[in-house]
Amino acid sequence: MSSPSLALPQGPEPILRPQPGRWAILGRFLQQNPLATLGVILFTAWILISLLAPFIAPYAPLEQDIVNRLQGPSERHWFGTDQLGRDVFSRVLYGGRLSLPAGVMVVIVAGIIGTAVGALAGFVGGWFDELAMRATEVFLAFPTIILAMAVAAALGPSLVNAIVAMVVVWWPNYARVVRSLVLGVKSQEFVEAARALGVPDGRILWRTVLPNCLAPAVVLATIDLGNAILVFAGLSFLGLGPEPSTPEWGRMVADGIAYFDQWWMAAFPGLAIFTVVIAFNFLGDGIRDALDPRLRK
Amino acid sequence: MPVYRYILRRLALTIPLLFGITLMAFIISHTVPADPVTANLGQKAMSDPAIVAAFRAEWGLDKPLPQQYLIYLSNLLRGDLGRSIKSRRPVLEDLRAFLPATMELATASIVFGAALGLILGLASALWRNSWLDHGVRVFSLFGVSVPVFWLALLALFFFYARLGWAVGPGRLDVGLEPPPPVTGLLTVDAFLARDWAVLRNALAHLLLPAVVLGAYTTGLITRVTRSAMLEVLSQDYIRTARAKGLPTRTTLTRHALRNALIPVVTVIGFSYGNLLAGTVLIENIFAWPGIGQYAYRASTSLDFPAIMGVSMVIALIFIVTNLVVDVLYFVLDPRLRAS
Repeated sequence: MSSPSLALPQGPEPILRPQPGRWAILGRFLQQNPLATLGVILFTAWILISLLAPFIAPYAPLEQDIVNRLQGPSERHWFGTDQLGRDVFSRVLYGGRLSLPAGVMVVIVAGIIGTAVGALAGFVGGWFDELAMRATEVFLAFPTIILAMAVAAALGPSLVNAIVAMVVVWWPNYARVVRSLVLGVKSQEFVEAARALGVPDGRILWRTVLPNCLAPAVVLATIDLGNAILVFAGLSFLGLGPEPSTPEWGRMVADGIAYFDQWWMAAFPGLAIFTVVIAFNFLGDGIRDALDPRLRK
Repeated sequence: MPVYRYILRRLALTIPLLFGITLMAFIISHTVPADPVTANLGQKAMSDPAIVAAFRAEWGLDKPLPQQYLIYLSNLLRGDLGRSIKSRRPVLEDLRAFLPATMELATASIVFGAALGLILGLASALWRNSWLDHGVRVFSLFGVSVPVFWLALLALFFFYARLGWAVGPGRLDVGLEPPPPVTGLLTVDAFLARDWAVLRNALAHLLLPAVVLGAYTTGLITRVTRSAMLEVLSQDYIRTARAKGLPTRTTLTRHALRNALIPVVTVIGFSYGNLLAGTVLIENIFAWPGIGQYAYRASTSLDFPAIMGVSMVIALIFIVTNLVVDVLYFVLDPRLRAS
């Protein structure tokens, strides 16, 4: 800008204070939230276990040893063996390789679809908004597990179909959240300014509105991961996930029902689900606290 | 706005939702890869072209899709939800037989979850940042994180098989004669028949599954109660109440609790539908003869009409409870009535 009259008025000298770096902020957050720290540790541990499963598991997950079937926990088989003599410990370690990516996939794909629909509905408004919101209401009128079950059953049981079924059920939540975020941002002055400058609508939505809605949506998705993993395990427990022999936690718990006295068959895979889900919930709880100034200590 | 007008408006909003649900059920069951004919008819019936043709005609499967939807809708309105592959009976008949057991279980769960959740949430908010608060928060996070089907197995293993503190699976001990069916709810029927032994036994059998099923709800209600109460306690009107010298007790019950309850009531209503759905994951383990077990068996044997029937019924109950809650909300909150 060459014209001096348009120059910004010179304010007082900014107070120079070193801005805390990302890691410092993260460090302080974790320090103030011991539960969130525990969540991060558990979550990191599960990622490492899932990545390294082929190297740290003492047995192959599908390796059968009929002679030693239904053995209780021992030095050779820490979590015992199942009805086919497979090592429960190894299968539990491998289970994360399915549940974690499945949960992440559901949240990401549902997040993208939900964000697209919600952002358009909020930004465009009118009949599209009305239609999209009535549609989300219909989806939300079914309890999650029931609708996911119906869709998964219709598609046929498989790992991919379970994920697809969950995405079908999951996106309306994101659509509603992103829509309300977009509505909030849309009325801000900087959006009006962009409009006044003649920026086309599509560009305003993409470059001005969406980036300002993304952070809360990503936080929501992180908190939501635990839930997604829980529902995925439920579908799998119902036999609507990966095929029977797959080392998947929900499936393993289901197998354990028939062998009630061999408690280790169901107990350890269930514990795995529990620790993963609670890791995300510990973390999510900490994030929620940190973001809500009213609840700050 | 008077209450009746609000109710009428909410009812009017429910109608498009009901259409939406039937449309969704129709789309899921008619345009998915699974052929409704193979899904509805067994192997034997499939090999008989006359049966296949009759089925196609009944559900109008040879007509264009919009027309199929109308036929589907009119079949639904007549209560025809199709026939279960497994039980070979009309789905509606099956649901009628299995629903009371599930309603009884879900109701016991919501009573337990709401009572415990309210107490814990209130205590947690009032003694904020105490060890009690921290304990309750961890406990509530456990509740919303635990896979309910796993908790069911563990509870049965420890409290029934090992410790013998709880009674076994099922709704009644084997030797007991169930009371004459009136409502289908064993506790109510036993009460009506003045059969105290059966009533006691039915309650004992309800305890473990109701607590297990209610774990998630308890955690959820605890969390919502705590945050609602904290929010209300930070409001100016609470400070005013305290400043004008109202006893703490009156401030808490008359001013804080009444306002904090509003979001809690919403969650309680919304949880009921989820509890009905959650029975799918535990009824099989507790040998509880409800729609949850029916749906579990249906899903493991891919009994598609049965699954759709259960989904529709649960969605319906879900909508009705939410409607009731919204009306309650309206009655509870004078601010809504004013606008």
